[in-house]
Amino acid sequence: MEQLTIVGKPVTRVDAEEKVTGEAVYGYDLVLPDMLYGKALFSPKPHARIKRINTEEAKQYPGVVAVITGKDAPWTHGESIKDKPFLAQDKVRYIGEPVAAVAAMDEDTAQAAVRLIEVEYEDLPAYFSPEEACKPGAIPIHENFASYRKFDFIVPGSMPNVCEHFKLRTGDVEKGFREADLVLEERYYVPVIQHAAIEPHSSHAQVDPESGRVTIWVANDAPFRALHEISEALGLSQEKIRFINPLQGGGFGSKGGLKVETIAVALAYHTKGKPVRVKFNREETFISTLTRHEAVIHIKSGVKQDGTLAARQMTLYWGAGAYAEKSPTVCIRGSLPAPGPYRIPHVRVDGYAAYTNKPVAGSFRGYGIPQGAWACEQHMDEIAKKLRMDPVELRLKNIFVDGDLAYWGEQLHSVGLKETLIKATQAIEWGKPPGFPASQLGGEEARRLKPNIKIGKGFACISKPTRTPTTSKAGVLVNSKGEITVLAGTVEIGQGCSTILSQVAAEELKVPLDKVRMAPLDTDMIPFDASTTSSRSTYHMGNAVRRAAIDAREKLMEMARPMLEAKNEELACSNGKVYLKDQPQMALPIGDVVRRKLGNDGIVRGDASYTYEIGKDLDLETGHSDHASAFYMYATQAAEVAVDEETGRVRILRMSAAHDVGKAINPLNCAAQIEGGLAMGIGSALHEEMVIDSQGKVRNPSFLDYHLVTSLDLPEMIPIIVECPEPEGPYGAKGLGEPGLAPTPAAIGNAVADAIGVRICDLPLNPERVYWAIQQKRAKGSSRWLTEVA
Amino acid sequence: MMMKIRITLNGKSISLEVPAHRLLLDLLRDEIGLTGTKEGCGTGDCGACTVFLNGKPVNSCLILSGELDGAEIVTIEGLKIGPELHPIQKAFIQDGGVQCGYCTSGMLMMSKALLDENLNPTEEEIRFALSGNLCRCTGYAKIVQAVQDAAAELRRMRAEG
Repeated sequence: MEQLTIVGKPVTRVDAEEKVTGEAVYGYDLVLPDMLYGKALFSPKPHARIKRINTEEAKQYPGVVAVITGKDAPWTHGESIKDKPFLAQDKVRYIGEPVAAVAAMDEDTAQAAVRLIEVEYEDLPAYFSPEEACKPGAIPIHENFASYRKFDFIVPGSMPNVCEHFKLRTGDVEKGFREADLVLEERYYVPVIQHAAIEPHSSHAQVDPESGRVTIWVANDAPFRALHEISEALGLSQEKIRFINPLQGGGFGSKGGLKVETIAVALAYHTKGKPVRVKFNREETFISTLTRHEAVIHIKSGVKQDGTLAARQMTLYWGAGAYAEKSPTVCIRGSLPAPGPYRIPHVRVDGYAAYTNKPVAGSFRGYGIPQGAWACEQHMDEIAKKLRMDPVELRLKNIFVDGDLAYWGEQLHSVGLKETLIKATQAIEWGKPPGFPASQLGGEEARRLKPNIKIGKGFACISKPTRTPTTSKAGVLVNSKGEITVLAGTVEIGQGCSTILSQVAAEELKVPLDKVRMAPLDTDMIPFDASTTSSRSTYHMGNAVRRAAIDAREKLMEMARPMLEAKNEELACSNGKVYLKDQPQMALPIGDVVRRKLGNDGIVRGDASYTYEIGKDLDLETGHSDHASAFYMYATQAAEVAVDEETGRVRILRMSAAHDVGKAINPLNCAAQIEGGLAMGIGSALHEEMVIDSQGKVRNPSFLDYHLVTSLDLPEMIPIIVECPEPEGPYGAKGLGEPGLAPTPAAIGNAVADAIGVRICDLPLNPERVYWAIQQKRAKGSSRWLTEVA
Repeated sequence: MMMKIRITLNGKSISLEVPAHRLLLDLLRDEIGLTGTKEGCGTGDCGACTVFLNGKPVNSCLILSGELDGAEIVTIEGLKIGPELHPIQKAFIQDGGVQCGYCTSGMLMMSKALLDENLNPTEEEIRFALSGNLCRCTGYAKIVQAVQDAAAELRRMRAEG
């Protein structure tokens, strides 16, 4: 293989300078000429009929331009199920649902007018647990569900409020349980959390009164998908819609789909061509954008005495919240690999995505994998305990390796899981007798050590699929100065794609990185990309940019052939020059090639499209597919924790994270992604929870009460990059964005159980929950702790 | 109530007529057009809007314009030293302390506040100083490293005069 010059190097980010100077413009910063300001009125009821809305007083308020309700925006949308109105229609389904909106000359006026809108509601029974919502006899949250337009693969099934029922059927689990020496059954719970990107949500929209063209400025992570969704909702052809993406201040899955966008668009139809900005403040972002699915997970396994897994049955209830959003696909892609990255002959999985009257759940970094792993990986440790086996040994006995036929019917390749398991556990000195790791802590810590501090170690493994099949297209422009512009629809959400894709283009055109720039993202000009989600960009867009750059390079070489008086000689490209392979002194800078052929204004353009085609579609009866994912990401994380039995406080002493990335195109960026994922995973393990009370109200919609990890909350983090190349990936790369937080809570849960001898089945492992688990163990000798789900 | 105020912003004296209740954050972003100072929460919990007010770091979302007459304010746009990036800015780039960048302005301002007082902070002191600045992307390790490296560079600069 040719020597790589820029790919594989820990170069610094190409977008860092504009960010450290404050010059970078984010969606929340954007000011448009003549812009109006929008604010929404949110439902105070979890489930109610709207009997009457009075907007008269608001309309009269000085400075108000438009006041609208659902009647003025008679559209519904939804990625996989068209169930969500732009503004509530006839009823509300969660506290925080936008009911009406105002556009005004300034934000204070808009907010004041919103307060003048009167709404009369008639309460309906509400459901706050996915298990409750789909019990026989539950009243439907969506009465007209049957008539909604849906994706073909949606299987709602027969239970009330279930918007997707995913089934996986492999072998015969009952037979597997009969043949097992040990059968173990448990229940786990993961609460609602939020992405909590530091930039709140906002959107700007403008409708041209003459052409009817709709322009939306929003930091959306999938502008082409959002464009399609708006087009379907409005019944407007796609050419009449344009998305312009300013920078995104973090998203983690929350800034895809349509949220604040629909309010902005609905208002823009009533402002006579003036653009409208709708900004959600932090509280509005908490209650009215997106959350991560809560999940109730039942898991039952049959195991042989030697640790071989014989059968596994799982039932997962995913709390969709009030609208389907991405719940069907979270249910499918989260439930499918939930039984874990193991060889299991008999598997039965039922995943149910159920509507509830909570805020809408959707894509969140990890797409269902963290929830499944929380159950599966702690369950694996319980099995190990029952069999008196080392948990590492139990995993090694069953873990996926190259050539395995996964239980969903796919032959696996490039499986770096075992290496991640070995490296992550070694990094925390797995197998050394439990005890205080004096080497890891200073004298101060040692003095603080008291008998009530218990130390434990734990780890967890995951595999994660990516959204498949999908397409990325890219263009690469070369101008007469030898400068490169990359046209790619991947959104810079902080993950570093602009650096990675610049490296790829620089590598293939053999130019220094500072000669490459990314074009701004505007759907009028940039080729199609499916989405910046699912850790798919390095692989899919990396392949597209690489091929587009090669296309440009080949065009340049063809153009250079007569200039270099080459006939049949082989040409090559390096250091920004095209030259004769056998006479390297016969060389031309690529910019000169462009100029001599096309003049000073000339541009050579390379184009490419990359699609990973699925083999066979997912079989809806068995959940089987021979290519469920373009590639799989594998990871193991391991934690060492100290638990204070007097206070229940869990402190992580050190945490390793070994991730199989295929090929690290930028090791610095990979480490940054792993650390950031770990931090988020640690927050979700120890304290993050959107507290939603028995009336459906979010009780902690602020950063004061919703505890994100701070710089003081984190342990020593040990990122470990494992490279098990994916042949189809660019330079062997897979993906990395999401898995960083997926095994984290389970690894910590296992470490806590190791420390205190109690299995805690609910997240988060906050001091209160841990304390009471310890108390119960002391009182009753119980080694399990499960709080009841509200 | 509209008020006339005179402030020094990033070294330049300016006069403004503003509603007294306008937050310093909104004054900077919406009226003056300096959007480098970010809004993350509006309630003083995240630190993204940190600026210097009379030499001290503050959450600009908690300061009313009516209090500002005669104040000296420095924002992220005033952090560069002439045309050169400040060593803290350079270190954030070099060490990978920036991801989405939305918390970065506040982080840089708070880091500068720490280093103005203490050019030789321990890791614990850095973590404590930045504990009111939330970052959802990085896990803080590379930010802490950047502050350490910036401190070393500033010490070197000071030693060389």
